[in-house]
Amino acid sequence: MIVEELVLPVLMVFFMLAAGAYTVAVLDRVIAGALGTPQTGSVWIAPLARGAWLMTQHANATEAPDWRAWRLAPALYLSLAAIGLAVVPWSGSLVATDLVTSVVLWGSVEALATVVIFLHGWSANALFALIGGYRYVALGLSYILISMFVLIGVALPAESLQFTQVVASQEELWNVIRQPLGLPLFLIVGLGMTFWGPLNLADSADLAGGTAAEISGPPRLVWDVARAAMLVAFSGVATSAFLGGWLGPWLPGPLWVAIKMLAVLLVLLLLGRLLPRLAPERCVTLMWVILLPLSFIDLVWAGVGALL
Amino acid sequence: MFPVLGVQGDKALRHLTLSPDIELVDSPRHASVLLVAGEIPADRFEPLRRVHDQLPYPFTTLWFRCEPWPHLENVTRIDDLDVLPAALVTAYHELMEGRRESSPRILLDKPPNPWEGAGDFGQGGEGMMGGVPYGRPMAMNMEDDIRDGLTLDSLTFRLGPFFFAFPPGMAAEITLQGDLVQTWKTQRAPYPQSLDPVFFAARKRLVPIAALELARARHHLYRLFHALHLAGLESASLSALRLANNLSTTSTLDGLRRYLSRSGFFRLAAIKGGELGPEQARRIGGPAARAAGLDEDLRSDDAGYRRLGFSPVCQASGDTRARWRQVLAEIDQSLQLARQAERDDVSTSEVDRIETPRGPWLEKRPEDASALLDEILPGQEWGDALATIASLDVAAVAEAPLDTQTTGESPITELSDDEGGPA
Amino acid sequence: MIESMSHGIGVDIAFLLLATLAVVTAWRVFRTDSMVRASFFLLVSFIAVGVIMILLAAEYLGVAMFFMMAVEMTVMALFMVMFMMNPAGLNPMNMVHQERISIGAGVVSFLVLSVMALLAVFPDRPVSAGLDPVRSLGNEMLGDSMLIFESAGLVLLTTMIGVVVLSSHRGRYGAATEGSLPPGLESGGDPAGKPEEDEDDEDGGHHHHHH
Repeated sequence: MIVEELVLPVLMVFFMLAAGAYTVAVLDRVIAGALGTPQTGSVWIAPLARGAWLMTQHANATEAPDWRAWRLAPALYLSLAAIGLAVVPWSGSLVATDLVTSVVLWGSVEALATVVIFLHGWSANALFALIGGYRYVALGLSYILISMFVLIGVALPAESLQFTQVVASQEELWNVIRQPLGLPLFLIVGLGMTFWGPLNLADSADLAGGTAAEISGPPRLVWDVARAAMLVAFSGVATSAFLGGWLGPWLPGPLWVAIKMLAVLLVLLLLGRLLPRLAPERCVTLMWVILLPLSFIDLVWAGVGALL
Repeated sequence: MFPVLGVQGDKALRHLTLSPDIELVDSPRHASVLLVAGEIPADRFEPLRRVHDQLPYPFTTLWFRCEPWPHLENVTRIDDLDVLPAALVTAYHELMEGRRESSPRILLDKPPNPWEGAGDFGQGGEGMMGGVPYGRPMAMNMEDDIRDGLTLDSLTFRLGPFFFAFPPGMAAEITLQGDLVQTWKTQRAPYPQSLDPVFFAARKRLVPIAALELARARHHLYRLFHALHLAGLESASLSALRLANNLSTTSTLDGLRRYLSRSGFFRLAAIKGGELGPEQARRIGGPAARAAGLDEDLRSDDAGYRRLGFSPVCQASGDTRARWRQVLAEIDQSLQLARQAERDDVSTSEVDRIETPRGPWLEKRPEDASALLDEILPGQEWGDALATIASLDVAAVAEAPLDTQTTGESPITELSDDEGGPA
Repeated sequence: MIESMSHGIGVDIAFLLLATLAVVTAWRVFRTDSMVRASFFLLVSFIAVGVIMILLAAEYLGVAMFFMMAVEMTVMALFMVMFMMNPAGLNPMNMVHQERISIGAGVVSFLVLSVMALLAVFPDRPVSAGLDPVRSLGNEMLGDSMLIFESAGLVLLTTMIGVVVLSSHRGRYGAATEGSLPPGLESGGDPAGKPEEDEDDEDGGHHHHHH
């Protein structure tokens, strides 16, 4: 029983973390190469070489940082990604933890991610890291509401807050078609949560790396892996909520989930490379003035659809 | 690799951006190799020492066209641009395999200011504002906020001459209140930039307009490359750089322009604000002035240009977005003029009035305009402020043209090699 | 036959650890000098309480606790840094007020609560095995207690909108920086309702900089 309840889920999550982070690194390199970044070396070995290089660097120190928070923040972000991955259902019965309230658990993962990223910036006691952390909080407070409304809309047809039920409710029609506003809004939330691409306000280039400006060595490796893992976790949740999880003909359930997750990852990584970084003011205005009303509409639509 | 740019260093930077083995990073903490590219003036040695010590162990330095410091052992100096990427890769591999020792730290690992005050955290002096923790004054809201009523604490700091988003060599003392720039004082002007030799030749004799216009387009494309990297559009910046390197009369800007407007660079990116008043526009001259509506271009006085039907392009508002549209329009115009001039074989007809990409060159070369930044940057958010700096060409024009200076110049670039070629 | 919910030793150990964590971090909230650290210690304390609630089979409430407290503590940290004079505790001045009263109140409430915990008779109503906590919570919130919850929600919304309106830059008579005052009773005269100008009181707008 211990094996079933404890060991297997942990192993599953670890495997998904490792495989997912590696996949994201490889995909990102492929996309960057396709868009013109000069690269050498095999695209499969390069992430591993980079990881090895980061392990050989020393973790540097700034003047009087908050050591515990600073060193723990990347690990905390990684564990949040692990928790997110744990609620993704790979088939009707294959899920690491089948909580009754897994949708709300994902919401709390998003909220706690804001805390962790802010801490990562604040505890470094360095200027650019601090600005990156504060900018991220502005973004985080904006997208959290959008994310919650969209997820509630997804939970309505399922009449349950469990991701397995949400997927099961998509047997006739996937949520991406039933609630057309949902997936685009949720993808924007995903870009914000992992501060990727256009919403990279936390680790942005104009802050010389933002919250990651002062880290080097193993903490940086953990931070990068955590960001990739959070992307994977997010794509898993998006797949379950909108793309019908394990549902699909011919292929076994888990394979469908993997394919759909890859598709979502590709979209996110492409958006990350193709769009410029938004100005914080414009981003916050966009989220509160345009996207939040859209998410209201999406929720009302979902409600009406559930009533009919 | 983190590049530290000295005089004429951006040439090395551009060359290295396109080489596949090297990854350039923006923060010295992310780098393993420090590339000092170009001659560093002595007054910037202190910041260079600090940057040198910021690289994490193990690290090494490479000096390009600059004399390495004598107390550093085991560092090489390269003067040939083509050999530079390979030398960097070699240095990195030697470092990784342990054949080369890591450079030691130059400065002491002590806090710059001792604790003052009685308590554990520097507090405990007399009265309310007792101690001076870490030697820095207590954060207080010094000035009213520019935007709305919420006064946050102000933070004053110096951003050094090797910050990647600044023109090479510029240092400023900035007061930030939250994200907003409250005051900006340029402390060191950027190094004078070297223009293409064809502009200098145009001062002595008549030159074919095609060559002149291509050089102009190339200059603008290099600036665009830098700004696009800042805005997060890596692929666009690389294609701008490639276009500039392979510029000929058959090149076209349309692809890049379409990509920029479709990706939302003009609408989404942080390019708000940064308006120049008419007086400020006149001071800086060049495309920035034309973007502010000033209709002056020395090329319209030139008979050769008039034969080609040249008329200056202008925008109405003087802000950052208008400046980029102006730059794109001028690149386009230059390419068209070059095509036509090559067909009709037209040369310039004046030698003492040249319009350089930096501004008009009458009797004196265009001068440094970084004092302008002190006036227009306060009130902008950090991202917008950096974008404004990227859109303004404030460096003066150097005496000697590009590539004719002795091999003593190298920009300092901190390079971080993450993976080398044969991984 | 009522199925008695027997829990293993693991649950007991978990409860003890979490309770200790909650109490220790709550103590750290008051002992630390930095306000950001204080709010995040409080967050850890709340998370421990949330996990205890999950142990008590209140799954939704426990997870909702994580969710809400994370955002709330972040906002609290921000506000403390924004508005407090001494958010880092580096200032030597004493930042606590009315310590004796609050210590007294703390001791009294601790005694009352411990007496309640030790001497009260808690009901022994084991939760049925097939209970769906989310469903029953939903039925309660939108069934019997709907009036309370919905009106509370509306009141909160009104408060938020009111706060935003009050702090908005644009006032009724113009922007806040231009000193939005109502127009005068005669055109070009003094603004209506403006108090008599007191020469001694003129501070030049720096009145909020008292330290």
